[in-house]
This record gives sequence, C-alpha cells and structure tokens, in this order.
Amino acid sequence: MNLSKVMQPEIIDLSLSATNKKEAIEALADLMSTHGYIGSKEQFVADVYERELQGKTGIGDHIAIPHGKSESVIKNAIAIGRLQGEIEWETLDGEPVKVILLFAVKKEDSNTLHIKMLSQVAGALADEAICEQLLHSNNAMAIIDAFQTEYQS
Amino acid sequence: MKIVGVAACTAGIAHTYLAKEKLIKGAESLGHQIRVETQGTIGVEEELTADEIKSAELVIIAADVNINGKDRFSDKPVVKVPTHVVIKSPKNLIKNAEKQMRQNQ
Repeated sequence: MNLSKVMQPEIIDLSLSATNKKEAIEALADLMSTHGYIGSKEQFVADVYERELQGKTGIGDHIAIPHGKSESVIKNAIAIGRLQGEIEWETLDGEPVKVILLFAVKKEDSNTLHIKMLSQVAGALADEAICEQLLHSNNAMAIIDAFQTEYQS
Repeated sequence: MKIVGVAACTAGIAHTYLAKEKLIKGAESLGHQIRVETQGTIGVEEELTADEIKSAELVIIAADVNINGKDRFSDKPVVKVPTHVVIKSPKNLIKNAEKQMRQNQ
C-alpha cells in the first residue's frame, strides 16, 4: 500500500505563514482547496472546528492533528504545515505548536483503505524519529518517505 | 506482565490509533507484553481474542467514548482513562496501574 494516496508534497508547506491557530487551519485548508482535495473551504473549516470543541488536538512535542470529517472533502488526505515560529494551541503538554497535520476525511466513504492510511499516519506520530522529521526536515518527500517506512514496518 | 487494551476516540480517526501505538511503545519499553484493539470509524481492528483476554493480568481502556464489549473484561483489573492520558504519558499510566494492581492483591 502506498501512502501517496493521502500524502502529497503539493499539500505540504514547510514554511507556512500563520500567526495563530485560525490562520494556520485556514492556510492549510486553502492549500487543500487549491489542489482539489476539498470543495467548500468554509464548510470544511467549520467541521474542523466542530472537532476542536471535543478535545485537544495538540498531541505534544509541538505537533497538532486537527481533523474534520466533512461533506466538503473530495479526496481523503493529510495536509502538513510547519510554521517559522510557534503558535498557541490547546495541547496535552501545554507547549505551543509548530507543526500541524490537518486530516481531511470524507463524511461517507465506502472505501476504508484511505481511512486506514490516515489512522496509520496518526499512529506513526508515536514514533520520536517521525516527529523529529516533521520538526526539522526541509524536504516534503523525505517526510512522506519516513511515514511510508513506518507504515510498512 | 500481560496487558490487553482497547483504544477508541470521538472521531475515530486519529487519537485512537495514536493512543494504541503509544500504549504499545510504552508497555514494551517497560518489558510488558501488550495487545491493543482499536474501535474507530472503520470499525473494530485487531480484535482481542478470548484467550488473550483470559491470560491478561491488566486491561487498559483508553477511550473518550463508550467502548463495545466491556463485559469481556468483567473479571479483570481494568484501568479506564481518556485517550489523552495515554498519548501524553503512557509509561506513567502503566506504572501507576501496576502499582495499584499490586496494592489490591
């Protein structure tokens, strides 16, 4: 199985400009919208915020995993943004966030394979080496490869 | 120690699976054996077998929602926590659960 179905360099921005959580989510949603992963950006962002209300998505180590199950999603995917500075976020360790993985998930989906890939990517974040790559690598492809390697192991 | 676990979260997309991996890494680094079932948006995966449950000394339920099949663990020591506890400090959770279990024995 190939993670390229859900992770693509075109939706990874390692120098995302945003000064707060809202801007970061909007910027990543813009990126997904530009490349045809989501339809209505407004609807998608609203659904992401719906999930944000249910609990912290900042998982610690400066990484956040906001996600939206939304009718506006056209293709299941994960957009990744890394900021120059750090921003406030509701996090498990109380530390600010630098890397955001925004999961876009179709509301209804008969194909569970993509969801499985998304869940594997989430699971891979338990690995410190993966988190290091996310925080420091300057190569989008290298980040995808790291997840791919973890996925196969 | 043999541990079985169940992970489940509200959306069933991300936290469930992160909690599972954190539990596995935490338990193994402490020298325990562990198996974790996930109940997510795509349903139950890696379902625990009756034998695994029978031989388990500790059950860890990391869930933000009610899980299915709780009755499977009715005669076992069960620790139930929200997923964020497992994601934040899996080793502490396991160590504390172990301590508590020994005190109850």
